[in-house]
Amino acid sequence: MDSKTALYIVKRVLLAVFTVWVVITVTFFVMHFVPGGPFDSEKAPSAAIKAAMEKKFNLDKPLFTQYTDYLKDIVTKFDFGPSLKKRGRTVVDIISDGMGTSAKLGLIAAAAATVCGIVLGSIAALRRNKIIDRVIMIITTAFVSMPSFIIGSILLILFSIKYKVFPANGSTAEGLVLPIITLALYPTAYITRLTRSSMLDVLGQDYIRTAKAKGVSSKNVIFGHALKNSLIPVLTYVGPMLAYIVTGSLVVEKIFAVPGIGRAFVNSITGRDYPLIMGTTIILATLIVLMNLITDILYKVVDPRISFD
Amino acid sequence: MKRIVAITLALAITLSLLFTLTACGKKKTTASATSIAVCLASEPDTIDPALNSAVDGATLLAHLFSGLAKWSQDDSGKLQIVPDAAKELVKGVENEDGTVTYTYTIRDGFKWSDGKALTANDFAFAWQRAASLELAADYGYMFEVIDGYDKVTEADDEGNAINPDAKLNVEAVDEKTLKVTLANAISYWDELLAFPTYYPVREDVVANESWATDPKTYVSNGMYTLDSWEHDSVITLKKNPDHPDADEVTMDTIEFYLSDDANNQLANFQNGDWLLIDDVPTDEIATLKADYPDEFFNVGQIGTYYVCWNVNEDILPKGSTLTGVEAENARAEIRNAVSLLIDRNYIVNEIAQGGQLPASSFVAMGLTDADGTEFYKNTGYSDKFVGYFDTSEDALESNFNAAVEVLKKYYTYDEATKKFTDFPAMTYLYNTSEGHKAIGEYIQAAFAAVGINMSMENQEWNTFLNTRKKGDYSIARNGWLADYNDPICFLDMWTSGSGNNDIQFGKGAHEKVAAYSLDLTSLGYDTKVENATWAETYDVLISTIKSCTDTAKRYKMMHMAEDMLMKSGCVTPIYYYTDLYMLSSKVSGFFSNPLGYKYFMYCTVKD
Repeated sequence: MDSKTALYIVKRVLLAVFTVWVVITVTFFVMHFVPGGPFDSEKAPSAAIKAAMEKKFNLDKPLFTQYTDYLKDIVTKFDFGPSLKKRGRTVVDIISDGMGTSAKLGLIAAAAATVCGIVLGSIAALRRNKIIDRVIMIITTAFVSMPSFIIGSILLILFSIKYKVFPANGSTAEGLVLPIITLALYPTAYITRLTRSSMLDVLGQDYIRTAKAKGVSSKNVIFGHALKNSLIPVLTYVGPMLAYIVTGSLVVEKIFAVPGIGRAFVNSITGRDYPLIMGTTIILATLIVLMNLITDILYKVVDPRISFD
Repeated sequence: MKRIVAITLALAITLSLLFTLTACGKKKTTASATSIAVCLASEPDTIDPALNSAVDGATLLAHLFSGLAKWSQDDSGKLQIVPDAAKELVKGVENEDGTVTYTYTIRDGFKWSDGKALTANDFAFAWQRAASLELAADYGYMFEVIDGYDKVTEADDEGNAINPDAKLNVEAVDEKTLKVTLANAISYWDELLAFPTYYPVREDVVANESWATDPKTYVSNGMYTLDSWEHDSVITLKKNPDHPDADEVTMDTIEFYLSDDANNQLANFQNGDWLLIDDVPTDEIATLKADYPDEFFNVGQIGTYYVCWNVNEDILPKGSTLTGVEAENARAEIRNAVSLLIDRNYIVNEIAQGGQLPASSFVAMGLTDADGTEFYKNTGYSDKFVGYFDTSEDALESNFNAAVEVLKKYYTYDEATKKFTDFPAMTYLYNTSEGHKAIGEYIQAAFAAVGINMSMENQEWNTFLNTRKKGDYSIARNGWLADYNDPICFLDMWTSGSGNNDIQFGKGAHEKVAAYSLDLTSLGYDTKVENATWAETYDVLISTIKSCTDTAKRYKMMHMAEDMLMKSGCVTPIYYYTDLYMLSSKVSGFFSNPLGYKYFMYCTVKD
């Protein structure tokens, strides 16, 4: 690694830390200004109980003090606090439980989507306007435009209720098959289309024609030149996609009763579980920032002409 | 580069396989004669008996703990409260100061799941803990009937206890004897003893704040023990062979799956994995009722779905000359008239579709009166129908005409269009939900038919609660479920200082409105006021009810309180709630109680 690259990475890491701090700060203050609090319920607790609860969880302190205390706890103790709703459980505990499942699901789905997407996209590009290309394009257009709740529901009805091949809840390994397929279909279709257009673009370039003219075998042209260069746009997509997909999907988790982090994220917001909102937001923000950083560095690996100046 | 791509691909594929294979070792959903898989809701916030305030949590706790009393079903199917950890449910002894003391003996043979013996002190400790400000439990107020509660929960504005050493009047006389003193006699005391907040916990166990989140630290004394808890996925209970009543328990294993999605629950029911589900998709109710006549159930649940009016919202036409008491009485009359425009049968049959019953009173169906009859059947002013107005379909037209006649007294009526032209526009506030929206839209259409314009505003749950509580609305969707079988839990929420007083009685401008009367002289009290404020009447009435020890008088006063509430017109009852669930016909021995708790210990499953 040259010094320019090292300097670039250091700069980007600092920027990433700054970005996450901004996210923390904005989220912290915005969530406290949203009307409603964590202890509101249809049956309101008495004023004394509410005050006692606020005192217990330090919500009675001035907002800025709460903010500085929070930052201090994260930085010095890696302590994200207790959940206000799930009494007795810590935010770290809840997130690590949910992330375990979501990451497993997300990584398998992302890996499958990337592999299938690149393979299908390449086949479509190389067999342009042939039947196989048409078929791939029709199917991918359908999956790109179909929201996951429709795909999920169709899979559920077919494979869980009608044919009873897979269970309808994600508490077992078999139960994770349908959610993985549901999660993977959209990115597979997207990557297929991306790879196809990008590869078609590359295949039309002068250097490909030159390589072919020089008698390079078509296998080498495709794998040695065309595929490598057509992956840059795919990389741009895969990085953030990975961050989103491993942090859980509410829709898929609800349809298949998967114990992932997506539900915790949404429920924390609707229930005003402040520490859990912060915890899940920080995880998501950090992952996205990190994946963007890795993607940018990978550009350089794929295409050495890209400069970090 | 070629190598990098190849390695990445290989790695991705291997990882996928690895994950799938490692995951494959886990167990599958099973159903056998002595095991049952069910789903009530998503993961409970807590299964600490003192902190739980949810119905699904209460069901879990009813299997995990034995309180002094429990709900039981006799051979004829009738529900009753019977002794559990107590030898018998004794009668109270009235003391000179009006307080009542009960002395219970703990039955022999009860043990905690870690082998230690259950003692009377475990109850005394648990109750002191659950009522304390330090724990700040939602249901701490369930102990307000016990002498000393007021002192325990008295706090300054910052939430600090004013009497940190105060205790409830409950003590363990010895290992087996528990003595508790109530502020006054109440009819529902035995039922409270069966309530999860009253279950025992052991001091050394709950010293660990996270004790109730992990099977390793979860020590209980009930018919079941917590075997495993995969968070957000499944909670498994195993029969406790050491329980004194273990012989009666037929179900060895209960798996409580955790899902908050009605469609998902239904899919798991339809493919036979889950044998009971506690939620069904609203838009499928009609189909399910037809397709599963023996497996679709709707049973009464003690609760009322209603619309509440902000008492401080002026609904008189612009330029109205009415003021003070006259204005308040006019508003009450108008609100009651508008309520008659709603066809409750249409709402329950065409929109809610869950077997709900049209409501004509606020205190719900299912609560008993002093003489053991249903409280709601003894309300209202007419012998021709039950409640405060006639909800039958035959009365639809006469209700409508009566409403129009009343409104004509206050608003301009255009005979050509048959609409009122100067009824102030209102906004209907509801929390985001297709069901609430549909009901709101129907009410909107019913009002529009006579020229009352009402727009709709939906808010997300916590924002909605906040808006309603602050009184920033004109008319809002509301609902209330009972905690125990006594009408007071529907009536004490409307006192001026109550945190649930969304109508804003006795608050803001209404604080000074002297439009109410209260006469208790016929009941032997010297309270008699006329043209007084809400605080001087309703609040006084409720506190008199709470300190009254004569059951007949107490119920009479509760009817008076509901009369006052309904006369104000601020509560527009829509329907009485029902509890919908689906139960496989393979299961027998199941029962549920009116609070919605479900009992699986005596179940058997046919193969």
